[in-house]
Amino acid sequence: MTKDKGTLPFRTCLGCGCTCDDIALEVAGGRITEAGNACDLGRAWFGDGVVPTKVLIGGKTATLEEAVDRAAALLAAAKNPMVYLAGDLTIEAARHGLSIADRVRARLDSPASDTVVAGLVAQQTRGRAAATLGELFNRADVVVFWAVDPAERYPRFRERYSADRKGLAAPEGRASRTLIAVDVGPSKGPKDADHRVSLTPEQEIAVLGAIRAAVAGRQQPEGRSLADLVDRLKKAKYTSLVYDAEPSGLTRSQVRVEALVALTQALNGPSRAALTALRAGNNRSGIEALSTWQTGFPFAVDFSRGFPRYLPEESASQLLQSGGIDLVLLAGSPATVPEAVRVGLGSVQVIAVGPRASEVSPGFHIAVDTGVAGIHEEGTAYRMDDVPIPLRLAFSGPPAAREVLQTLNLRVLANGGSR
Amino acid sequence: MTPLRITGGTVYDPANGVDGKVQDICIEDGKIVNSVPQSARRLDASGMVVMPGGVDIHSHIASSACNQARRLLPEEHLRDPVPAPRLLERQDGPRSGTGGTVPSTFTTGYRYAGLGYTTAFDAAVAPLGALHTHLELDDTPCIDAGFFVLLGNDDFLLRQIAAGEQARARDYTAWLLQRTGGYAIKIVNPGGVEQWKNGGRNVNGLDDVVGSSNVTPRRILETLADVGNGLGLPHPVHIHCNNLGRPGNATVTLESMKAVAGRRAHFTHLQFHAYGDGPGGGAPGGWSSAAPKLIEYVNQHSEVSVDVGQVMFGAATTVTADSAVEYLLHASSGRKWVNVDIELESGCGIVPYSYREKAAVAALQWAVGLELFLLSADPWRVVLSTDHPNGGTFLSYPELIRLLMDRTYRDEKLKTINLRLLAGSALLDGLAREYTLNEIAIITRAAPARLLGLGAKGHLGPGADADVTVYSRNDDIAAMFATPRYVVKAGQLIVEEGQLRRAPAGARFSLAPQYDQSIEGHLKRHFEQYSSVSLANYGGRG
Repeated sequence: MTKDKGTLPFRTCLGCGCTCDDIALEVAGGRITEAGNACDLGRAWFGDGVVPTKVLIGGKTATLEEAVDRAAALLAAAKNPMVYLAGDLTIEAARHGLSIADRVRARLDSPASDTVVAGLVAQQTRGRAAATLGELFNRADVVVFWAVDPAERYPRFRERYSADRKGLAAPEGRASRTLIAVDVGPSKGPKDADHRVSLTPEQEIAVLGAIRAAVAGRQQPEGRSLADLVDRLKKAKYTSLVYDAEPSGLTRSQVRVEALVALTQALNGPSRAALTALRAGNNRSGIEALSTWQTGFPFAVDFSRGFPRYLPEESASQLLQSGGIDLVLLAGSPATVPEAVRVGLGSVQVIAVGPRASEVSPGFHIAVDTGVAGIHEEGTAYRMDDVPIPLRLAFSGPPAAREVLQTLNLRVLANGGSR
Repeated sequence: MTPLRITGGTVYDPANGVDGKVQDICIEDGKIVNSVPQSARRLDASGMVVMPGGVDIHSHIASSACNQARRLLPEEHLRDPVPAPRLLERQDGPRSGTGGTVPSTFTTGYRYAGLGYTTAFDAAVAPLGALHTHLELDDTPCIDAGFFVLLGNDDFLLRQIAAGEQARARDYTAWLLQRTGGYAIKIVNPGGVEQWKNGGRNVNGLDDVVGSSNVTPRRILETLADVGNGLGLPHPVHIHCNNLGRPGNATVTLESMKAVAGRRAHFTHLQFHAYGDGPGGGAPGGWSSAAPKLIEYVNQHSEVSVDVGQVMFGAATTVTADSAVEYLLHASSGRKWVNVDIELESGCGIVPYSYREKAAVAALQWAVGLELFLLSADPWRVVLSTDHPNGGTFLSYPELIRLLMDRTYRDEKLKTINLRLLAGSALLDGLAREYTLNEIAIITRAAPARLLGLGAKGHLGPGADADVTVYSRNDDIAAMFATPRYVVKAGQLIVEEGQLRRAPAGARFSLAPQYDQSIEGHLKRHFEQYSSVSLANYGGRG
């Protein structure tokens, strides 16, 4: 329900992967005046909810119909198109973008290939030992922040889902738990940890292996702080191990994530444990889920042969920079595109459909401003733990991305789809 | 929609007592009708076999767990690329995809249609992921679908059982079904998943304590069976028993059946729960078939129904809410493994798997499933499933039908498998039974529809949904069932000459049972304390 003025409870924030759904939006006169319960990241993400409503072709104002016609023609003519599903798209909007990629035999990608690729491929190699976020605060008596302090990029993670929240097996919240920080080089765990282990980046993977071996009873780790950590993990009833899956100072190493997964799996059986990959917001996890159910692959899908192929070795930014792509349909908020991809977009024609598309400079060939998912458009977004959360309308704005992409999808279909 | 007359086919419509009679089937506005004008379009089915569209009572096709499985299996998808079908009507929007044991959504819909199945239920959806299931089903064309909601390890429900609050358990179940848009109550390893999540590995027997001393697998079964029947749900409680896949588990299976005696209840993938612990009372680590013992109980108790969960040789993926079992399977097979604990509701475990003819346990499982089918006295209560993709994929149904209909073929197959654990089994002693086409029509459409309480499915009487499958006769029964000549879905011809030609969106089966609104006050407090999702945003699409 929308209101001219008043409080809109239980709105969902896409500012980070926490996807907090307890935001109380104060609205007045078509603006957001306050995002109650939100953190700084969240308040910045909601902003005042005012977005431009332009349709531009070659920098000149056009109608939506003209833009859709022109976009469909460009997609039909392109030799090597790419559909890039960026952030702040609902699943309901993104599914039309994915459909277009299939029909024009495009390359399909998302921020995943330039950010979390190592972690996704590691999970495909080894599997997962995971939990939805509610399980963490209800079960965990030991919380290990591995080379991350969530306060920086995931401000409400601890209060809503982790160390600080009271739960079934931790009636006093933080006081019921042991908090362990593992610092890896400059990537440090929380300051208030009860125990701390410091490693150099060069040591990290070997140490993960050693801990795993020690948990399995095969050998004892060297050093008192590591022996202490192993002891705590073995005695834990349920360990919540948390790392940052998004780019950080650490190398994006598949081996590193495999080692984290393997350790967590080894803790299951003798004890219980779950590994949480902290993820950025903007419904990026949801785009990967959608791509997985429609194609069998979470990202880096090539439709050029008329069926999905998985090419995770080459990221979107590499493809763009190598000249392998001649047209990009950029769906979603351009602001959520990783820097390396943004650079690559400068050298190809771009059709942009998303919030503030018209404000990007230098301008895209076609820019269609849409509303923002969860403010001007309802639908579904996924939390970092793959749990779907509804997005509700705050007030109406520019055309919904869902409508624009659906119209374009139908136009592409009417034109005959694949080349 | 233009009227259609399917002429001259031999009709098997067991729900209406039609067993191989040549008659026309008339269709108008998506429904079966008594007659259509002479000018109606005709579809010549002379010499062919006509049945209602297939109904899958237990499959895993659209859930967070399925999507985790898809994500885990890129190598399978690379091996089985599926180009978009060439459809007649562009607005159906043909889509490419990938297959393997857990196909992409569009491919799932197309392949079910290509098999002559027009209705399927996902058998295990955690309420937290119900919205995800709806989104996947939105992208799964051709089949009408619904899903069962996991409740057997749900914290709020177990609290009501602990407190003896039967009415509140009923109201909660009704509320949850409405919130999620689910269709039936599913119990998976009652109490055992909670025990696994809480560090206790699993439960062993029906009277193991789960948290509170008042809560046992037995109490969970009794409570939810009563809730389902009390709410008058169209499908009774759908039960996956404790100790799946373990030798000797038939004991707890039989006890579970007795625990809910006198109440309507459906026991799923019974094959996985029908193992003895060896000949002559058992030896440590022994395995044997307990199928005769279990099916005898089923035969004698008309309130019980089962689907078999047949194991078929070849690739499979085990994907289940029974995460305790997957831990053991990972430990024994060494294959890659996904475990996801789903907050205070359920679990999720996935391990890729392969059933090999020469593996003694796989061969025993294969035989146990066949024994359940062949010793069943009532096909209306013992229906076909492979627990797709756990025992094999739904694409193996035609091969399974051949095994049931063709004793010579079955006996040949028996010679190629590992017989080590089959000594003294009913199958090895020789089971002469061969299913008739009428019985196949019962176990693949008429009975699943009846057990699900779907009055408009699984039959061809006036008023039924016009879902019809037409098969060309073939001496090779598997080939006949694998490639129907025509499939009609809601009155539309979607498969012609064996080719998928249309792919309309399917309908969704959801329930909205009544409940006492005061349950929401209790839930509000519970959610504030224990849930990561606001009550207002929970459950999806009720």
